[in-house]
Parts: sequence; C-alpha cells; structure tokens
Amino acid sequence: MEQETAILTRGLVKWYGRIQALRGVDLEVRRGELFGFLGPNGAGKTTTIRCLLDLIRPQAGEIRVLGLNPQADPVAVRARVGYLPGELNLEANLRVERALRYFDELRGRRTDWSFVRELANRLELDLQMPIRNLSKGNKQKVGLVQALMARPELLLLDEPTAGLDPLMQQEVYRLLRQARADGATIFFSSHILSEVEALADRVAIIRDGIIVEEAEPGRLVHMAMRRVRVRFKRPVDLTPLIRLDGVSLLYQNDGIEATLQVEGDMEALVKTLASFPVGDIETEHRSLEEAFLAYYKEGR
Amino acid sequence: MWTEFKHTLRRLHGSALGWGIGLALYSLMIVSFYGSIGTMKLQILELMSGYPQTLLAFFGDMNTLFTPGGYLDIYYFGFLTPIIGIFAVSACAGLLVGDEERGILDLVLAHPVSRTALFWGRFLGFAAALAGVLFLSYLAWAIPSPSVGFELSWGELLLPFLSLFVVLFLFGALALLLSLLLPSSRAAGMLSAGLLVANFLLIGLSRLYSEEIGPIVRLTPLYYYQGGKAAQGLNWGWLGGLLASGLVLLLPAWALFLRRDIRVGGEHGWHLPALRFLRRG
Repeated sequence: MEQETAILTRGLVKWYGRIQALRGVDLEVRRGELFGFLGPNGAGKTTTIRCLLDLIRPQAGEIRVLGLNPQADPVAVRARVGYLPGELNLEANLRVERALRYFDELRGRRTDWSFVRELANRLELDLQMPIRNLSKGNKQKVGLVQALMARPELLLLDEPTAGLDPLMQQEVYRLLRQARADGATIFFSSHILSEVEALADRVAIIRDGIIVEEAEPGRLVHMAMRRVRVRFKRPVDLTPLIRLDGVSLLYQNDGIEATLQVEGDMEALVKTLASFPVGDIETEHRSLEEAFLAYYKEGR
Repeated sequence: MWTEFKHTLRRLHGSALGWGIGLALYSLMIVSFYGSIGTMKLQILELMSGYPQTLLAFFGDMNTLFTPGGYLDIYYFGFLTPIIGIFAVSACAGLLVGDEERGILDLVLAHPVSRTALFWGRFLGFAAALAGVLFLSYLAWAIPSPSVGFELSWGELLLPFLSLFVVLFLFGALALLLSLLLPSSRAAGMLSAGLLVANFLLIGLSRLYSEEIGPIVRLTPLYYYQGGKAAQGLNWGWLGGLLASGLVLLLPAWALFLRRDIRVGGEHGWHLPALRFLRRG
C-alpha cells in the first residue's frame, strides 16, 4: 500500500501562534497521479505543501512522502521531490543559468543540462538574463525549470501557472503531462477551474485547514456555476428564463439586460434564449474557489 | 556544506572586496606614515601634552605610539573593531534570516541539503570572507613594512589580525544567534552592532575609570582583544577563549535553526511587547 502512495497525511495539525492553519488534514495521493489541491486563500494549501517538505513542522499528525517521513529524513525526501513555491523569490543578482546551476549543485550535480535547455526553449526562457530583469511570468518559468530539471519522482507545485499567459499555460500543461507519462506524481495547487479540468485526475478541496471534498474534476466542474449576462434588443419578460431548473436571476435592468446564474449545463437556457431578441451574451465561469464558497455557504 | 560555503563566498565577495580594498588602502596610508612619525617624535609628544590626559587615555597608551606594536594599535587595531564589525554583524545577521525574509530560503531548503550543512556552510563562508578582508589588509601592512622601517616580521604582523579575526568571529556568531531569536535580521544586526560599539566605548572608559568599571569590562569580549599589542606576544589563552565563546554562541543558533519553521510572508513572527503597545496607541 505504502509503495503505491506518493503522499499520505493523517490528522495533520499546524498552529501559527494562536492561529490554527491545519485542523487535521487527511490526504492520500497515489503514485503517478496528477492531483489538484484547491481552496481559498489562507485555507491551508501552502502550509500543507510546506509540511511535506519539512520546511515547517506540524504539531500533530503523520506524514509520509514517497514512503519516507520528511521530519526524520528530510534530505532523502527532497532529493526525490521538485518544488515550486507559491511565492517564488530568487536571488536577484544572479543570471538564470547561475541560479539553476546553484540548485543543481544542491542536488549533487545530477542534472542533464540538455534537458534544462530543452525546458528553457519550450518555455521561451533566456538562461542568460539577470533574474532582476525578469517579469513575474519569466520568474515563474525559472521556478518551473528548477522544479522539473532533475526529473523528480514527485512534483509539488504551488500555483504552477501563476503569471503565465494562456499559450504558456498550455505548454506547462504539456510539460506536466509529459512528466507524469515519465512516471512522476504531480501534486499541484490551483484555483483555476479550466486548469484543474485540463490536468487533474483527482482533486481535494481544503477549507479552513480541513479537507472538505475529494472528487474527480468533472464533478467539480458540474458544481461550478456560470454567470450569464444577456443584453436584449428590446425589453423582454424574463419569466421563462427564471423558471428554468438551475437558473436564477442575479440582476436585471428594465428587461433590456439580465445577469443569470446557471448551475449545471447550459442547454435549457440556450434553447429558451433562442426565442428571445438577443443582442449579446457573455458567460463567465466562477472560479472553483467561489463555487465552493457558495456551495458550503448554502449549508452543505 | 561545500556548495553553501562556495555560494556564501560568492554572495559576499562584492562587499568583502569593497571592505578589503578600503582597509588595504587605509593600511597603506598608515604604514607609509610610520617613518615620518618616528622623525617627528618630539613634536608629536609636545602636541599630545596639550591634549587632556583623559582624552588620550581613552584611545590607549599614547606613549607606545613610537613602537611598532603601539603604532599598529593606536592607528589601526584600536578603533577598527566597530568599523569592520559592521561588515561582520550585518553579514551574519542576514546569513539565514535575511534570505528567509526575502523568501529565498524556502526554495533552497526544498532541495536535498540538510539544515546543518546550510548553517555551517554559510557561517564558514562568512568566516572565509572575513579572513579574506583581513588578509588584504594584512598584505597592505606586510609588503611595504620593510621599506618604511616597520620592525615587525610578517609572522608578528599576522598576530593582531588573528586577534581581530577571532573577536569579529564572536560578534558574527552573536549576530547570527540574535537573528534567530529576534523578529528580524535588521533588529539582530542593530542590536549586535550596538553591543559591539557599547563594548568598545566601555573599554575606552575603563582606562579612565578602571576601579569602577574594570570588573564589568573583564566580562566583555573586547577586553580579551589585544589589537596591535598582539604583535609583541599573542595571548593564546585569550584567543582560544574568544574562539570558544563564538562557538558556544553558534551551538544554540544551530539548534534553533534545526527546529525553526521557515517563514514565508511573516508567519511565525513575533513583536516586542513595547512596540505592540505603541501600535495600539
């Protein structure tokens, strides 16, 4: 069982002074999984990840990473893990390559530099740039390269695509899928629904320091509600729309404009709107974070 | 440990070079004056007789000014500790906690490096950088000394630098320990520098009020710092004592670092109660 588990936590409790950040986190990630870890800001995502690497110590609970206890053998754990912090900071006075070589030295110079160059090419990262001149997105690319370059067995990625443009996000997804195909387990935190949908095999939701849901991403997508803003060519009666299952009215302006909230699929709404004089439609996915906040506020 | 040692040396090389070159230039200037000081002995003695004795006493025994050891002490080593001490305490206060505050340590410690290797690698890197600074200054004294009639061998000249190195090692260790105890590296640097300057002033005052503060001064590190006088005979017991005291300060710092929660974004911080009270006001 332990050999099949990449990450196992039981009853993880962490206090920062009088603030309890984790209230008994139970988590199990199987080897080879792409596992999404979701939750609002301050829910405990980063704290959990940092406990896995022994950067901080929980007051109670049990942790196993790749079958090892990170508190007893942190160096052995970190030798097999690649980590991207949520708030990435690098030494500003180094060039990208120098920073990467430093991380490689910490790993005992085992990195294949042709792979580093391949990663840099795919992410369009100039290895000779001074870090102080990099944009947030380019710094994120440095963080991704350093996490991936040693081909670790387990990747712990805190918001891996933060600051990247949509094209680059797609490239990161490809890199992560490739890492998984090569045998890596990937544990990533995110609050972007499409990212989770595109990548994760399974998802856990953490809120107020406790795991509140573990599910397949498809189920979460279904739970996530959309907002639909419709502008009509002339004032209309909105009653047929509001009567639809899963549709509620959030806002209207004299029947000429309406904002609706739609839970589940859009088929019924689209069919009904076909008989309306529609001028413009905008739809917007609420983030998973919002969806879950609403979900749990509604008394679940 | 070797990686962290090299990395620390690389990071400190700019400031170490700056300090080293600055001190070396000052050393060259002072050593080049040695010959003329000897020829102006009478005029200088006459000039000094006009100064208040208490003022002269603060800076040490002025009668030794015309001996190589006394000259070294009064013009160089006597007041160098608080100056070069700024390099030592600021480098050590930021050695670990400075990186933690900038959010850099998080990623470094996510790599396969033990906290012990990180701690000792970095401190030894600092010690090597400090040795480099002092060595540049030593060369600036040693190379021209035969040509200006400075009657100390290269070996004798090395001894005051050893004494200075060890006392700065101790204050560096203190700054590192305080950085792991206080809320910020800046507070640790300021407190360590303050203690160093206070100790320096106390030593000066003890020459004026030896009966009143002499016993207190004996408990402070700079009392055991020989400065230029070490050229005439290094007290190895004192040197060993200072080194041992530095190591004694490093041990709790090491233990604190081993069990420390590495902070990001102000986690695990604490504030002085007085400051908290002021903020409420």
